[in-house]
Amino acid sequence: MAHRRITLTVLTCLFAVASLAAAQGLAPAAKAAAKPAPATATAAPSLTADGQPDLQGYWTNTTVIPLERPKELADKAFFTPEEAADYAKRQLATPEATGPGTYADVHYNMAQFGLEKSQTKVAANIRTSLIVDPSDGRIPSMTPEARQRNAERAAKNKGHEFDAAENRSLGERCILWPNEGPPMMPVGYNSNLQIVQGPGYVAILQEMIHDVRVIPTNGSPHLPSNMRQWMGDSRGHWEGDTLVVDTTNFTGQTAFRGSSENLHVVERFRRVDADTVLYQFTVDDPSTWTHSWSAEIPMTKIQGPIFEYACHEGNYGMANNLSGARAEEKKAEKQPGAK
Amino acid sequence: MRKFLGVCLLAAAIPAWAHHSFAAEFDVTKPVKLEGTVTRMEWINPHSWIHMDVKNPDGTVTSWMIEGGSPNALLRRGFTKHSLEPGTQIVVEGYQAKDGAARANGRDLTFPDGKRLFLGADAGEKTPDDKPSEK
Repeated sequence: MAHRRITLTVLTCLFAVASLAAAQGLAPAAKAAAKPAPATATAAPSLTADGQPDLQGYWTNTTVIPLERPKELADKAFFTPEEAADYAKRQLATPEATGPGTYADVHYNMAQFGLEKSQTKVAANIRTSLIVDPSDGRIPSMTPEARQRNAERAAKNKGHEFDAAENRSLGERCILWPNEGPPMMPVGYNSNLQIVQGPGYVAILQEMIHDVRVIPTNGSPHLPSNMRQWMGDSRGHWEGDTLVVDTTNFTGQTAFRGSSENLHVVERFRRVDADTVLYQFTVDDPSTWTHSWSAEIPMTKIQGPIFEYACHEGNYGMANNLSGARAEEKKAEKQPGAK
Repeated sequence: MRKFLGVCLLAAAIPAWAHHSFAAEFDVTKPVKLEGTVTRMEWINPHSWIHMDVKNPDGTVTSWMIEGGSPNALLRRGFTKHSLEPGTQIVVEGYQAKDGAARANGRDLTFPDGKRLFLGADAGEKTPDDKPSEK
């Protein structure tokens, strides 16, 4: 059984959730009830050597807040700082619900490998969902076209999930993880990134699973529409202290939460204090959702470096999964009544 | 508040997300407890792999491969390639690979005295913001 330990790290995180979020103005509705900003909240550094707002550094977007607001909290967009601290404490302190001999138990103990959120720094947030628009905090309905497209995709793979590597998920294949985006979503562990700026460019190195987004901010246009990339084509520009990144040209296979190749993502990065970059994004795809939707994810400063994560290097799990499936098939053939 | 607590309990039941399907790779009906000697450790992503020699009841030795977590988090907690040297005695509890090979997931890893591997008194107390150091 996994045991999540309440360490100093966790207590630090809880303090952060309770106080830092309130101090950052992340929750206007709850701010009136919040305590004054702690002395640790420092002013944002000003500009890089070439005059850009400075977003550089190592960041994590690790969070305990779900993307979509739980239906039970439909009318509650923000926790109070006390509720947020309690929520985070429960999220971080509850042991994994796995019983010996269950399928969920066939896994390593995450805590042993330092992979539990309770062992890492968690970005402060007192929202009840990462989604801020629509106001119910939930992804809008899928269009009939999208439902059919995704159902057909699922049906095509059904029963063939372990036929070959191509049938496995993009993550298992070391092609793309949700944190890479865009939009860049928090993941369970190693949810760390580095931002580096130079004249005309912003680069984002994602630890999982080893990609770098090089975003031109030099006014260059998007690629021709017939050029499609897994992570789309990102172009940035500055609006005051905010980096705005516009991404189009996705492949249909990228399928961010069932999206099509028409996915359009607009991200906004703003340094709200020395220790926080507020990351906001809006996704729009008329081929997939009835409305655009937006989310907001604070990223908190961590100490570097970002460690290399050469996903293909040790991806023995892919071959092992497939060989496991072949063994299962042979076993089934030997069963009485098998063809 | 009751509604709020209910949500907390619901969310806590969601299992941690792994890189791949463990249930597809390992057999829940084949639990194993292996006691042996580390021969080498592969500090590679997406999963670390510990190689160990295990003496069988008939005196023969089988080389097992044990799948563990991403090494990045361990490095951040202060572990290095020297932290699990060949020759170290360890005990692994896990489940064997479905294809019958001498592979298992490293569900729980301990030293023979019961102390947890990777959660030792020194490195295990480090926080992510501590500077990684050579042991």
